[in-house]
Amino acid sequence: MKSGSDASGGRRAVAAARDPLLPTHWFNILHDRPQYVASAMSRSRLTGAAKRAGHGVHLQQPLSLARQSLNTTDRFIPIPDEVLDLYAQYRPTPLRRAVRLEEHLGANARIYYKYEGANLTGSHKLNTALAQAYYYARAGVKRIVTGTAAGQWGTALAYACQVMNLDCTIFMVRSTLRQKPIRGEMMQLFGAVVHESPSDLTEVGRRVLAEDPAATGTQAVANAEAIELTAEDSGSRFAVGSGENSVLLHQTVIGQEAVSQLARLGEFPDCVIASMGAGSNFGGIALPLLGAAEDAGRPIRLVAVESTACPKLTRGRYLYDLSDALGTTPITRVYSLGSGYVPPPVYAGGLRHHSAGPLASAMHADGSMEAMAIDQLTSFRAGMLFCQTEGILPAPESAHAVAGMIDVVSRHPRGEAPLVVLVNISGHGLLDLGAYRSFAAGEIEAVSADEASLSRSLSALEEFNQSIAEPAEAT
Amino acid sequence: MAAGDGSEVAVRSELRRVATNLVFGALAAAIPGLRVETLDERQELYADLGLDSLGFVQLLLELEGKLRVQLVDDELMTIELVTVADLIDLVERISLRAAK
Repeated sequence: MKSGSDASGGRRAVAAARDPLLPTHWFNILHDRPQYVASAMSRSRLTGAAKRAGHGVHLQQPLSLARQSLNTTDRFIPIPDEVLDLYAQYRPTPLRRAVRLEEHLGANARIYYKYEGANLTGSHKLNTALAQAYYYARAGVKRIVTGTAAGQWGTALAYACQVMNLDCTIFMVRSTLRQKPIRGEMMQLFGAVVHESPSDLTEVGRRVLAEDPAATGTQAVANAEAIELTAEDSGSRFAVGSGENSVLLHQTVIGQEAVSQLARLGEFPDCVIASMGAGSNFGGIALPLLGAAEDAGRPIRLVAVESTACPKLTRGRYLYDLSDALGTTPITRVYSLGSGYVPPPVYAGGLRHHSAGPLASAMHADGSMEAMAIDQLTSFRAGMLFCQTEGILPAPESAHAVAGMIDVVSRHPRGEAPLVVLVNISGHGLLDLGAYRSFAAGEIEAVSADEASLSRSLSALEEFNQSIAEPAEAT
Repeated sequence: MAAGDGSEVAVRSELRRVATNLVFGALAAAIPGLRVETLDERQELYADLGLDSLGFVQLLLELEGKLRVQLVDDELMTIELVTVADLIDLVERISLRAAK
């Protein structure tokens, strides 16, 4: 083992070797658009529900993270040195022009992609996992508990917890854990305890299993199980990998790097495209580009690509909803299909969350971004094409972004100036080879939302909003 | 009782009064519809006032601004407050530390 002085010398060397393209601050869109903070609202304020006596209040997350989610005064927020050193191990990430894909498509466009899959956990999730683990460790928390859908977040958090000497427990959605058990094994490699969700370890898991022993699981249930486990241990806290303002903030290193990298090439995109789970990879690339476009007084088109299995932006309602199945987390105003909606299993597990996060939802509501839904058959076709032309196999979620990008560039008229597009390849698909093999064998189907289930869930969501419409004082 | 002790009691009493006013004001700011005159130290933050974790965050940020101190994570993550009096105690502790 290295001595302390050797280690600190090593850290100084790491700091000195940081690439100048690595941002030293996160970009805070809430400074430019403070109105986006207002879409988060406390549950108890809305419901005015009776509360159990003797129950105390405590911080669920470090105040440092909460400050970031509510900060409307600072446009740039410094990245702690320890986090910067860890970012420097894999950032800046590559920005490349997809020349062979352009030629294949015959598109009137210059296509650039940012590749977030080259870090050891394989996706953009590491950008917030390291930051969150840093703040939780500094706050004295001993263990982080979380829910993960596709597993990118779980893998990233498991590694970040190991780096920060934290214990880590992960509930992973059953359908995706069974599709790619190697994800769970990676998390265990980093020292995490992994449970399939729904599980019999928690009351909410047992309830779901009692109703349907073959339940495929959802992110909402996995999160609820994590929250329930956290409540039993004062040294544990629940963390999320998407949706919250602070999470999107941490991801803005992606877009800031892209702005600098494109500037070196003399480019600025007309259009930025990313897949949409709850909004972290979308926000990570889009928000700094939006800020840069507004600074330059030029228009920019932002496109979020969701799954037809979980079309919250294109078919959901902009209403107050819960983000976990227990209803413990604050109610926020989001585009949602209802927290009870169970999307059909698709390989892009990261796009199965029933709602977009509050910030992404607010952007969609005010017209700052567009949304489109892509089925998984189309997305795998696009992912395969990207692999064959660019040599990078995108994760199923990122393949949705590629498919959306192909749709956008194919509609751009030939007679106009070439469209400059930037697409975020948020993760690699090397752990999804089985899914790509199934695609190649013709075994993948275009999956859409189940209409009856969707209709029931949307009705329940509207009823829920009617039930909380009364002022709390009147109850 | 020595004169010094009496003045210390008076100072502590004044500190309590200031902390109580601060807390009442912050609660009223953090919980829409809440009137300061209805507040009581014995009320429970969660059960009586409906303060949840997000409201607690907003309350702490409000207090941070009024006290002009930066609250630290490692102290706050370990505390659990049940009553308004618990919150006033916390503000007193922070104020005393800041004064030193």
